[in-house]
Amino acid sequence: MSPMQGRFAGARHRQGLHLGLIVLALMVLVLSMALAVSIGEIHIPLATTFKALGNALGVSEYPLDRIHESIIREYRLSRALVAACCGAGLALCGAILQALLRNPLAEPYVLGISAGASTGAVCIMVLGVGGGAMGLSLGAFLGALGAFAVVLALSRGASTSPNRIILAGVAGSQLFNALTAWVISTSASAEQVRGIMFWLLGNLGGVRWPEVTLALAVVLPGFAICLLFARALDAFTFGQDAAAALGIPVGAVRLILFAVTALMTATMVSMVGAIGFVGLVIPHAARFMVGTAHVRLLPASLLIGAIFMVLADIVSRVILPHQSLPIGVVTALVGAPVFAMILYRARPPL
Amino acid sequence: MSIQAHAVSWSTAGRLIVDDVSLAITPGDTVGLLGPNGSGKSSLLRLLCGLRRVTRGVVTFDDAPLEQLNRRDVARRLAMVEQNATTDADVTVLDVVRLGRTPWRSILSGWREEDSTAVEQALVQVGMESRRYQSWHTLSGGERQRVHIARALAQRPRELLLDEPTNHLDIQHQLEILALVRRLSTTCVMALHDLNLAAMFCDHLVLLKEGRVAEAGKPESVLTPERILDVYGVDTVIERSPHHGCLHVHYLPRKEMTLPRKETSSQA
Repeated sequence: MSPMQGRFAGARHRQGLHLGLIVLALMVLVLSMALAVSIGEIHIPLATTFKALGNALGVSEYPLDRIHESIIREYRLSRALVAACCGAGLALCGAILQALLRNPLAEPYVLGISAGASTGAVCIMVLGVGGGAMGLSLGAFLGALGAFAVVLALSRGASTSPNRIILAGVAGSQLFNALTAWVISTSASAEQVRGIMFWLLGNLGGVRWPEVTLALAVVLPGFAICLLFARALDAFTFGQDAAAALGIPVGAVRLILFAVTALMTATMVSMVGAIGFVGLVIPHAARFMVGTAHVRLLPASLLIGAIFMVLADIVSRVILPHQSLPIGVVTALVGAPVFAMILYRARPPL
Repeated sequence: MSIQAHAVSWSTAGRLIVDDVSLAITPGDTVGLLGPNGSGKSSLLRLLCGLRRVTRGVVTFDDAPLEQLNRRDVARRLAMVEQNATTDADVTVLDVVRLGRTPWRSILSGWREEDSTAVEQALVQVGMESRRYQSWHTLSGGERQRVHIARALAQRPRELLLDEPTNHLDIQHQLEILALVRRLSTTCVMALHDLNLAAMFCDHLVLLKEGRVAEAGKPESVLTPERILDVYGVDTVIERSPHHGCLHVHYLPRKEMTLPRKETSSQA
């Protein structure tokens, strides 16, 4: 009897620990967002940031510098929120794809979904497909779905060899990048090219409150849906057939989660461009901290992804004086070595 | 009768893999599916648990057609142990066995007392209770198979299907796994390669040839030299072992297969 009680006590203890971790991560997220708001060309003291936040929420009325307050409200807070949502969304997509495809390298960027979304967005921007009736987001969404379909079709039979999906992703990325380059080089003006190139590497400049609303409206429900399927994702540990044998409606689960993933990726890419490797690195870091059970892994990926992206945004703004680096460059500088490391570790034993 | 197949056929990519198979599993029996590579053993198991849809015919559970049951209801009464199923994920023995409770838990329900009991009993049944926190990647092949069986038992199934559970195991672990399966009160259907082990551990045998049932029944009626020659093309002498009382198959090499004895020893 006593070991039984001990185990339950242990489970409760672990649950408390995880709750504590979540609270801690939320605090770190708030702090890093405050830093992101403070740091920039015009330095704003952290205290001012929190006071402005209080004013914006209507819980306080501190007298503040009008310029500071409007920089915070109009530019930096919205940027930090979108960065957090993007990081959260992409990390969540990575965690979902790695579970469904049973491949540690799966993520939207590596699988070419981001490239497809870029192609869709560029078609809308440059060619005006749909006559302006179709928004950039819709174009990116259709592009993401198209890329997803191509990759899944190329990797048919991926259950026998999970690595095929990565090869298919590489092929898909190349294809869609070529299409994007074609559209740009044949149809875009010099002005557009500069804008697009910057945007393809990921760019958080220019995001305002409408983008915040859209990002939150996609990431939060997306997270809720994914969390409902946490247990189903666990059942994929030994593959699709094993999940089916455990009573999971595999076809429906895959369809829903692929659609959610494509929607989240497309929304992020349409707002900030194709930011790579966040979806790859963060779930692995999260697994290292909280283990493989998705009911813990998904919230952890969400929070760590948000924190990582906000910090990456700060780095991209301060690393060069008077100039900001595309955020995709920063994430790739972190992500590419991690990708190589996972690839090395995942090699078959000699 | 627990599971029944009525004239079941299955074809994929234009090839007929399972051809007009009918069988009825008696509750409590341990049934061995035998046959050469590619004779349709694995495919038949997959049809019996609904992982593949029959092209023709019908599979029934207690006279209810399998197609009318949803996946979760099937998973609550029938568990499957696949061949060499493994994972890259860093999971523990306990994580894997707990997966067996998946069909019994709704999306929002927490972990209940009965889930713990089922997991605990399953771990004890396969003798892995002291290894529960061990990482999957540190387990040997035989231990992994035992954990898979524990996961299946945690489903509390009435029927257990096993696809070559002894594949890639050494003889000690083959015997250990089969004795474990034999001890279970659950109805078991398993695909096997070794005719002698099948004779030792199964109540009932089904011999497949090119997707069809060549013979089914007690080991005595299935394991005959004529049948083995017909299905495998191998000459045999079959006798009852004086040591364990079960049938024993002696394989006779054909003339062109007998290697000339090396004569180095006589020269030495």
